[in-house]
Amino acid sequence: MDDPKLARLLEHPAIWRGRSTARLEVLPSGFAALDESLPAGGWPRSGLIEILIARFGSGELSLLLPALAALTRAASARWCVWVAPPLMPFAPALVAQGVVLDRVAVVGGERPLWAFEQVLGSGACDAALAWGGRPQPRDIRRLQLAAERGRTLGVLFRPRRAAREASAAALRLGVESSPGGVRVTLLKGRGARGVVLLPDLTVHHAAVTAVLA
Amino acid sequence: MRARSTRAAAASATLFPAIAKEAPGEHTALARVRARSPSVQPVAELWAALHLSHPGGTQLAHLARRAQRFTPRVSLERPDGLLLEVRGSLHLFGEVAGLREALLKMCGELRLEASLAFAPTPLAALVMARACKAAQVMERAELVGKLAELALGTLRWPPEIVERLKRTGVRTIGAALRLPRAGFARRFGTAQLASLDRLTGRTREIRTAFRPGESFRRRHELSCEVESHACLLSALMRLLEELEDFLKVRQCGVMTVECHLLHRQAGMTPCVLRLAAPGADARHLGSLFAEELQRLVLPQPVRALELRAATLLPLTPAAPMLWQPGEHGGGAGSEAHALIERLQARLGEAAVHGLTLLDDHRPESCWSMTAPPAACPAYLTRTARTTCMARTTRGATSPVSLRRPLWLLPVPQPLAMRAGWPWRRGLLQLVSEPERIETGWWDGEDIARDYYTALDIHGVRLWVFRERTAAHRWFLHGIFG
Repeated sequence: MDDPKLARLLEHPAIWRGRSTARLEVLPSGFAALDESLPAGGWPRSGLIEILIARFGSGELSLLLPALAALTRAASARWCVWVAPPLMPFAPALVAQGVVLDRVAVVGGERPLWAFEQVLGSGACDAALAWGGRPQPRDIRRLQLAAERGRTLGVLFRPRRAAREASAAALRLGVESSPGGVRVTLLKGRGARGVVLLPDLTVHHAAVTAVLA
Repeated sequence: MRARSTRAAAASATLFPAIAKEAPGEHTALARVRARSPSVQPVAELWAALHLSHPGGTQLAHLARRAQRFTPRVSLERPDGLLLEVRGSLHLFGEVAGLREALLKMCGELRLEASLAFAPTPLAALVMARACKAAQVMERAELVGKLAELALGTLRWPPEIVERLKRTGVRTIGAALRLPRAGFARRFGTAQLASLDRLTGRTREIRTAFRPGESFRRRHELSCEVESHACLLSALMRLLEELEDFLKVRQCGVMTVECHLLHRQAGMTPCVLRLAAPGADARHLGSLFAEELQRLVLPQPVRALELRAATLLPLTPAAPMLWQPGEHGGGAGSEAHALIERLQARLGEAAVHGLTLLDDHRPESCWSMTAPPAACPAYLTRTARTTCMARTTRGATSPVSLRRPLWLLPVPQPLAMRAGWPWRRGLLQLVSEPERIETGWWDGEDIARDYYTALDIHGVRLWVFRERTAAHRWFLHGIFG
């Protein structure tokens, strides 16, 4: 591999290497420790992420907010849509975290999965978050395809027990609160061979503050 | 073309009057120059008047729409007259003879019987057309002579005045014109004198131009009563295509389209479509109506469809972006509108909303829902975003705003208490200094609370408060998430 000729050859765009993730567009998560552990070095720019939580409010949203804030502040920002959130997102907190409210839309209603698929596939959104619904593995596949079609980062929050089901999502994370921080477990990541279990990763709330200040 | 050459001639006339005199458009050009000078002399107009023998319902408006291809200056004289200013169109349509033929042919196509006359003033042309005189008077000097023998009745004055004039021996327009002006005005009214002045061109008559109806309303009777949504939709598509044609010629779009489904007995079922941005595309409207129809419960089979669009809005066709949305430099414009419309069509209008901040310290009233965010191209929203970012950075630097939870409960939820401390599946651990919010006395919804950040036994961070008033109860108000 150290041969410069070989390295140059491997840079050819027609060559795709199984474990290579370098050509994926990546969105920094805002937490250095997390970026290091994510397969591509950050959140994928498009595709579906599943976040499995044991308990609502374990810190799963704080984990995403730096990236969401960066997306809404970009020059040609598209929307960031929240589909069927269980409670109302609190606007002052979003603004405090750097989110531009003009780019945020909330979709309520009865059919969260249908709405989520529409939002992901529309091409009008940079990111979409969804709660609720009971997606079957087939639905997850649909959502993943829609997210790739619309070049949207889709985040689906599901209960922890869904970890047993197969999933076509690009990335699956388990999130739970731990004393003084958030514990993130990587359950599945594309570009890694099979399922990789990473050592627990703790993101401190202090770190959140440091990033945003 | 004609108008432009006339304008050019007029412009040259102001600079070189001697040259303009020789120019082919001499008459109009000079008249325009004179009209601009203080001693105003009316522009030499030529009016064509069509008088319908059997006017009916909307035929006149229909005729006026068709007649707009001859001249933009078309005006209606209800119930049976149509006036066209044709001086500028003579050359194009082959002088008066060609124009006469074309106008009468148009009436023939619409199966209307009409008489046609040309005169320098609109009223004179009308009067001659009413008298069924296929006359043409090109110059004002000849006008009085031609009008003299026409009956007074053609002027449509009030019958008692015509009767009184008859009794004094005045039966024709010529006789009326010979009467002394002051006496005529005193005995028969100033309105009649003014009408004579307009007739001869002594005062200029300003006519309001006809504007075609700016609303759309079509009805489609189904050949049999229909219940299936697919059949309804295909019938509706035909109406929507008509609507698209209607809008395209006007370069307009609609934001609200109403479809009435008419039944045999149960009246009608309305189906209203609201768009996020003016649109005219039949296929797009059709797909939205398909969503609306799916939600609709029909009391009875449908017998007819009626499509209405009341307010037309100017439609600026958007240039497609070079970049795909999501690529570097690509924003979302039409996709965003389409998304809102699709979601609202299926989930209801209230299902999609945006968020905004309000100037208040109370957590309940410092934010509100708004209409869905506008999807402008990035270059338009850049200033808005800069101001918003300024506000954002201000907010982030103030330490207090960091202590707001990401989720807010719609109403504070009372917490159980153990020995004065809050309890939720276990004793809550307070991990922050209190923040006092005490405000709102002016509108009766005043609050006096001490807010804390608390950790429950599972490590979930909560936003709780303690009332400062007598009961001192604890409430859960938010979750940090």
